[in-house]
Amino acid sequence: MKNLLCAVIVSRGLDEMLRFCLKSFFESSVHLSEPVEVIVADNASPRPYNASSFADRRIRLLRFDGHKAFATACNKAVQESTSEYVLFLNNDVLLDQSSLLLMMQHGCNAGIGVTGSWLYFPDGRVQHRGVVFGRDDIGPYHLDRGRFLEPFCFVEDFQAVTGACMMVRRELFEQVGGFDESYAFGLEDIDFCLRVRQRGHRVVCVNAGRPIHFEALTPGRIELDVTSRQQFLERWRGKYTIDG
Amino acid sequence: MLYYFVPDTTIFGGIKVAYQFVDALNALGIMAVIASPGGRTADWFFSHAAVVDAEVVRDSFRPEDTAVFSLPHDYAALRKLPGQLVFHCQGTDPLIDPILANSSVQVLTCWRQATEYVQTHSVINPIEVGISITSSFFYAGVPKFENAVAYMPRRGGYLCDEVKRAYASKRYIAIDNICEAEVARIMQYSSIYLATAEHEWFGLPALEAMAAGCLVVSLPVLGGMEYLDDGVNCRIVKSQDFVGAVGELLQEQCAGLRFRMRQAAVATARRYTTGRMMQRLALLLDGPLSSWRKIV
Repeated sequence: MKNLLCAVIVSRGLDEMLRFCLKSFFESSVHLSEPVEVIVADNASPRPYNASSFADRRIRLLRFDGHKAFATACNKAVQESTSEYVLFLNNDVLLDQSSLLLMMQHGCNAGIGVTGSWLYFPDGRVQHRGVVFGRDDIGPYHLDRGRFLEPFCFVEDFQAVTGACMMVRRELFEQVGGFDESYAFGLEDIDFCLRVRQRGHRVVCVNAGRPIHFEALTPGRIELDVTSRQQFLERWRGKYTIDG
Repeated sequence: MLYYFVPDTTIFGGIKVAYQFVDALNALGIMAVIASPGGRTADWFFSHAAVVDAEVVRDSFRPEDTAVFSLPHDYAALRKLPGQLVFHCQGTDPLIDPILANSSVQVLTCWRQATEYVQTHSVINPIEVGISITSSFFYAGVPKFENAVAYMPRRGGYLCDEVKRAYASKRYIAIDNICEAEVARIMQYSSIYLATAEHEWFGLPALEAMAAGCLVVSLPVLGGMEYLDDGVNCRIVKSQDFVGAVGELLQEQCAGLRFRMRQAAVATARRYTTGRMMQRLALLLDGPLSSWRKIV
């Protein structure tokens, strides 16, 4: 039987965090009517994950001995999946019990290409509720990041959402060509969303319970982020609309 | 896919209306993008619309696609495309008459006078989709500077100059070549707005000024007469009476009148919210524009 949803979790180290991430995913998937699977892409963890340590048979391990760009790791993981939907999930995101059901209910209607979720810092401040774009060098940024804010609607349109928790139909992901692998780390998710929207699909952010995102726990990602940002702005500046 | 072709990214009301229209369609679940030269976006107002390269679109246009345009000059090139052609009528220049003569072109209009023009100049029955004001213009209680007079010098600048000479003690703020957010900020604190563009079709800036609580003094316009009500929510005066009319309104004893007319202006502008336009569009998408729901 074909799975409904495959979570792709690119992870490097942080074994305990990954364990909690997986636990929250499966707890949330209980509310879905069809089966799910998980592909954990071990992105050259210094101490490789051990397949036997993942007790749940729905988890598949994909090991990269050499470090891959986030985009590359995701694309390769998606190739291993046959599920109808793919959920890109950071290993430091803990889903809420209701998250997956709400994302499927509100974010998977006709015309919607990509579905993100409100994410919160552990102290309850907003980590992500959609990405907006400022003028000039400002570029894309997380709207209302760091604010205490309650959702006021279930679904809201954006030009982009974070790849930390992003659901997309696998077929569309492949049609668009997946994430652009030339990005070192970061902004490949935003790039992807903009390309999806150029095909006329909507990108939405859903109020999906209170999932937590610790954010940027992976060592060394900030430096890579700067390079990616330069690359992104060179490619897209003047080609996205200003909404923030 | 629905492609809305725009000629460029310059500060010109028709461009903004195009993006707003696509934003509204997207929010209603219609697959629509802006097609712009080089895929460049207009960045002087807020929008969510996705933008693609118009040249690429022309080369890959499919019979099942829809091309929307509002500039008459684009008609010659776009009529060669294989899909449905839609004219989003934002003005009633006789230049649009050849478009209206083509019965295969679907015509959308933004206001009543444009609808009537189309009805009298063609066999096409137009669909009035409306027009809206960005929410940032709506008056939010910012204190008004009673001395502040805003104007756009690009059209009818000579009238503005005459007003400035006649009442030199007032503070005049020229709105020219600046982003929408800044325009809204100026209008929010200005007391009076001079709408000096002659032969204006609709006059979206004047309506935006009314939304921001400005007392509008306007030359007679065409389509804009559906929201301008002389002596109630604005003053409409001919060019020869313009300076005198502004002077009357600036008088101390007219403070009450100015206040009442501003309130009426804000109330009038509420008829043009994005929400209202989307309600109208949603009904049309369940009726004469239902084929757009099938766009892929």
